[in-house]
Amino acid sequence: MLTDTLSKAIAELEEEQVLKLVKERLESGVDPLEIVNSLQQGMAEVGRLFETGEYFLSELVMCGEIMKDSMDILEPHLSGSSGNYKGNIVIGTVKGDIHDLGKNIVVMLLKGAGYNVIDLGVDVPKEKFVEAIKESNAPLVGMSVLLTACQDSLKEAIDAIRAEGLDVKVMIGGNYIDEVVKEHVGADYYAKAAGEGLKIADEIFG
Amino acid sequence: MNEKEKLYQERLERYTIAMECGKPDKVPICLGIGEWVVKYTDTNLQEVFYDLNKSNSIVDEMLSDFDVDIFGGGPCLWWPPMFDAMGSKLYKFPGIGLDENSTFQYNEEEYMKAEDYDDFIANPTEWLATNFLPRISDEFAEPGSYRATVALIKSAAAFAMQAGTMAAAWEKWTREHGVVGQTAGMTKAPFDTLGDALRSMKGILLDLRRRPEKVLAACEAITPHNIKQGVSGPGADKRFPCFAPLHRGAYPFLNPHQWEKYYWPSLKATIEGLWAQGKRMLFYAEGDWTPYLEKIAELPEKSIIFQIDNTDAKKAKEILGGRFCLQGGVPTTLLTYGTPEEVKEHVKRTIDELACDGGFILNPGGVVMGDAKKENIYAMIEAAREYGVY
Repeated sequence: MLTDTLSKAIAELEEEQVLKLVKERLESGVDPLEIVNSLQQGMAEVGRLFETGEYFLSELVMCGEIMKDSMDILEPHLSGSSGNYKGNIVIGTVKGDIHDLGKNIVVMLLKGAGYNVIDLGVDVPKEKFVEAIKESNAPLVGMSVLLTACQDSLKEAIDAIRAEGLDVKVMIGGNYIDEVVKEHVGADYYAKAAGEGLKIADEIFG
Repeated sequence: MNEKEKLYQERLERYTIAMECGKPDKVPICLGIGEWVVKYTDTNLQEVFYDLNKSNSIVDEMLSDFDVDIFGGGPCLWWPPMFDAMGSKLYKFPGIGLDENSTFQYNEEEYMKAEDYDDFIANPTEWLATNFLPRISDEFAEPGSYRATVALIKSAAAFAMQAGTMAAAWEKWTREHGVVGQTAGMTKAPFDTLGDALRSMKGILLDLRRRPEKVLAACEAITPHNIKQGVSGPGADKRFPCFAPLHRGAYPFLNPHQWEKYYWPSLKATIEGLWAQGKRMLFYAEGDWTPYLEKIAELPEKSIIFQIDNTDAKKAKEILGGRFCLQGGVPTTLLTYGTPEEVKEHVKRTIDELACDGGFILNPGGVVMGDAKKENIYAMIEAAREYGVY
């Protein structure tokens, strides 16, 4: 059960109340990181409600929007503070595919759970994945795909990462992804829903 | 009547009986020749999209040994030059901004802003002409200008050229191969018109919380247009359903309350409006629609063909069977990852479970994309002929 009013407000998607509370707390001198922490707890609750079937995509998208607006207020106050990230995760939608809804939801849940997510966006070439993994030393990379026809670029990106000998686990996600696709492209994990992606991350970093 | 005309009549009857929930002589097979065909020819997707004659002749060659009753069309869904002629930003096509063998994609944006709702609702057509067009195309930046007028003429001419070429191709396919076209005309769910084309996915999902009454009013304003669209042009041929690709109504985009209040009423009104004129809808339920089957069952009997993609097929049969013709049954992933033996086995089971008392058309669940295997497509047709005799 959530006890903090801010966490509750975001879990219940009370947009105006969330923004009001964020501003109030900042003004009264609460540590911005603590405010982020309250927001994250509320987002984790939203993720849980999605998993149990009480919330749908429309609720997740709304939550993401409230979080984004809150972070816009908070970010200027966060500079300088290192943050207590659980670790780095690189993520992107593979080359040839410009769908980002699924990826954005996973990013939101991962951020909510306290990870530092390096989001490469959509239509990401394999070189960009490799470069980002090298730079961030991330132990996990997530690749999103919706179009079955973009499976080759998924495989090519994973091949490129393996060829570089990078010590990184690859998680793939998308509507049609299953064990067969995972084996075919040579990924380490697959997730069909955003919540599963979060569990995999917790397993790797835990 | 020559042999091909006879074949056409036979297949048309099979299709018509199935649409009416009856039991024809055989389970009708419906299939298109999708982007997968490109792999088996010496061409690429860009050529197939841009060169209609080339794409149509590939289809022509393949149809000779393609024993299907209902033909869903060739690999080219859009003819890009039409969009190029108006400087449209809506799509990315193979070879332009994408790899030459990547499929086309839609550039989703909030082409209509939240503050546009009132103007749109007051007069959708005027709003589209004066606001939407300038936003999706640089050529239309100044409506009424010389440049915009020329762009309108060019794109209308391209549209007419495409329609002429495709009409001739369909005539040829019908005459020479005796295949029946699946649909005539198309329309959409009003909520999808608003969500896909105008407000974008994120925009409309946020609107449901921030300005729900505007969403309802806009869907209501769109409904008469979508009814009209379903029966205009080729849609006037009422022997065939209009195609309606349905998107945001799939589970789990909207919660059940939102679905019932915002998605369903205007789609239902569209279907009822079409059916009052004797026009059926191919209810192309992409994704999973299992939670909504009971509501869909409330539609007038036989007013739709229900497409089974990821919807629970047994439940669809149980709840909709007998009231509406069902179509689908073969998962598109099976056509990509399966073996011909697995496909055959699946088709046999599907026919046993879904086709038994008629009112069923065998078809891949969704759009068959570029990665499907030719041998699996042929296995599907073979098995359907082998097991699909009533």
